[in-house]
Amino acid sequence: MTSNANALIPEEHGAVAGLSHDARGGISNPILGMLLFICSEVMFFSGLFAAYFTVRAAAPVWPPIVPGDRALTEAYNLHAEPWFAAGLTLILIVSSFTCQFAVWSIRRGDRTGFVRNIAVTLVLGIVFLIGQVYDYATLGFGIADGTFGTTFYTLTGFHGAHVFGGAIMLSVLLYRGLAGQFTSRHHDAVEATSLYWHFVDVVWIALFSTLYVL
Amino acid sequence: MHPLRHPRNAIFLGLIFVGIGFVYWAVPYFLGLHVDYAGVTMLCVLGIAMALMAYVLIAGSPND
Amino acid sequence: MATTTLPRAATGYRSGLYEWVTTTDHKRIGILYIVNSFIFFFLGGLLALGIRTELARPGLQLVGDAALYNQLFTMHGSVMIFLFIIPILAGFGNYVVPLQIGAPDMAFPRINALSFWMLPLGGILLFLGFVTGGAAQAGWTSYTPLSEDMPLASPGAGQDLWLMGLVLIGTSSILGAVNFLVTIFKMRAPGMTLFRMPILVWTVMVTSILVLMATPVFTSALIMLFIDRNLGGHFFNPENGGNAILWQNVFWFYSHPAVYVMVLPAMGIISEVLPVFSRKPLFGYKAFVFATAAIGALGFSVWAHHMFTTGAVYLPFFSFMTFLIAVPTGVKMFNWIFTMWRGKLSFSTPLLFALGFLTMFLIGGINGAFSAAVPVDFALHDTYWVVAHLHYVLFGGSVFGVFAGVYYWFPKMTGRMLNESLGKVHFVMMFIGFNLTFFPMHQLGLAGMPRRIADYANPAWNDLNLAATVGGFLIAASMIPFLWNVFISRRNGPIADWDPWQANTLEWATSSPPPPYNFDRLPEIRSERPLFDLRHGRTATHAVAIDAGSAPPAPAAGN
Repeated sequence: MTSNANALIPEEHGAVAGLSHDARGGISNPILGMLLFICSEVMFFSGLFAAYFTVRAAAPVWPPIVPGDRALTEAYNLHAEPWFAAGLTLILIVSSFTCQFAVWSIRRGDRTGFVRNIAVTLVLGIVFLIGQVYDYATLGFGIADGTFGTTFYTLTGFHGAHVFGGAIMLSVLLYRGLAGQFTSRHHDAVEATSLYWHFVDVVWIALFSTLYVL
Repeated sequence: MHPLRHPRNAIFLGLIFVGIGFVYWAVPYFLGLHVDYAGVTMLCVLGIAMALMAYVLIAGSPND
Repeated sequence: MATTTLPRAATGYRSGLYEWVTTTDHKRIGILYIVNSFIFFFLGGLLALGIRTELARPGLQLVGDAALYNQLFTMHGSVMIFLFIIPILAGFGNYVVPLQIGAPDMAFPRINALSFWMLPLGGILLFLGFVTGGAAQAGWTSYTPLSEDMPLASPGAGQDLWLMGLVLIGTSSILGAVNFLVTIFKMRAPGMTLFRMPILVWTVMVTSILVLMATPVFTSALIMLFIDRNLGGHFFNPENGGNAILWQNVFWFYSHPAVYVMVLPAMGIISEVLPVFSRKPLFGYKAFVFATAAIGALGFSVWAHHMFTTGAVYLPFFSFMTFLIAVPTGVKMFNWIFTMWRGKLSFSTPLLFALGFLTMFLIGGINGAFSAAVPVDFALHDTYWVVAHLHYVLFGGSVFGVFAGVYYWFPKMTGRMLNESLGKVHFVMMFIGFNLTFFPMHQLGLAGMPRRIADYANPAWNDLNLAATVGGFLIAASMIPFLWNVFISRRNGPIADWDPWQANTLEWATSSPPPPYNFDRLPEIRSERPLFDLRHGRTATHAVAIDAGSAPPAPAAGN
């Protein structure tokens, strides 16, 4: 295997610069595994988005107009009242920041800061979930209400399920952090979970833009 | 440097799929035919996922 | 001063049932995958015999009504694809890949075990349909609206069990793909660069990329159909703004790359077998690698060639891309042929099955190329021509490749050689039976016989159907010498030493079967044939013992 003096060394440059590294160089196994798993999750959402764009393109008007049901037609108009969802978006974005602060803390060996930031991230995640449930309760349409309802609830519902999974992972991190199991040199689980949490946030931004803005 | 060693080149793989997705949208659209938005979506997102995957696999590989 | 004797570290396997159920060792998990897959192969084969028995003569003899027949072909396809061919190739990958790259195990041994155990569970879910009012009966392709929860379609629990079982099996595949990719990219022995890896490792890598990217799309389709059926959804329901063709689109976006998942590792297996039994290196290693990558990439852009007749497809794009895929496949064909050219061939059973692969897959590829032409496909879609095509590539191709792998690696896995005469009997019976079954289907398809029908009224089709049924039973009979061979060889076969085939790759550089930790020491790796180099003095004899600098073995007590 030839070595090359001009080789870009991943640990010092590029997007993976901060990630935990293997003794031999490169990203550690669990983190690489999480990144690949995230790729597969991206493709899962692609199928759901594909369905959404198909039914939307085929509909004569979107949001659909339901003849004889003004309440439903108005409920479909998410563009009119995007504020609550925008609030949820803000919560999730802030939680991504606090999550990254937690990662930076533990990289520095600052366990207190780590625990504090993870706790805040977890709380924000739970607030998001509660907010999502509240939103569902007040939307005015259900999953069986036409393709609009079906695609809306499927997309946001599966995103919510992923947030829920992320919240469980954050809880585990919180527990382990309080038990003092992470150090600046050994905290793969933190890096992996934060990558997952950022992914969840990015998917929500795509969802929000597609469902409420476009 | 061997192209397979440079992480940025890995993103090229993803761009190929985004390109195919773009062609898949553009040709029927400008010919006035039916556009398959499902296929376009899946191909473009595939490009994004492939780029991410290729980047982490190359950048994450050991140095030796 | 008192001294204490520590108990000796475990260097062998404990072999009770508990050990097998709780193992995280990739070799044992690989064997579990293979055995489990063969069980489903036989179950799927029984379903096929049911189909062939029914079709042997016109009229409904075996099945009282066509609904049971629909369950037979639906479950036959689903079981063979999701519970046999994809997992068994993953099983070979599990066993062989870490050995071939000089690693002590896979990257995530416990996830590896989880991936396996999801399979029998998924299989049980699928088969539960038979006892809950009827298994899934909308074809393995499960097209909407036939698969929707409506009176004349698929109202029973069988379809829902099918959906849930496949979500579980798909998840197993995806986790396995993550495992393979991290293992291959992170755990190669020092000196083994990507372009010194055995071809099987390359094919498993590309297959894992396909699985990682495509299977989740299938999961999303399965879930959308589940929502339609059980939560009042309208994805595929045209009455409420949904789109029945949407199912086909999303389904085939996965299922087309899936067929490459089903064949690429088998191509990898014969790329290991052919050089060894021709005493020549693989011709065109780099071309082969790029061809494999090209097939993987192109495989994502042809999915709608399964949907030409829907009227919703941009035909020239998909026809063109489909023809294009024949090019890298042809490159591989030539590589294999030139590997054998002027080689010193020894016609043992693994080579026979590899030759069977080459010839039968070639026929399957050619009849596929016919279908790539849109007007031809308009006539042949949903006829027995397609059944012929898919069986020539999947059975004539992948299954023959699987058997080549079984005969090749059995000595490594069990420490015993399989009996050559029985192996040859198996091959001849299977080869004849296979062609007798599926070659007539070309003719039947051209004559217009549709697929998925329980009965037919055209007397011109009688003889060919009967011939196909005879062939089917011959294939079943060929399993007898195979199973007998495995049974007697496990107990009384000649003991296999480390490298009974004088092979090239690292799995033969350790005992048969290998110790739990795989290697005591590794040869120096300077090419894609490290064992060949060692044998011919090109590298230093038995270099560094592998404790310096490589990844520590996965913590395992006795497994």
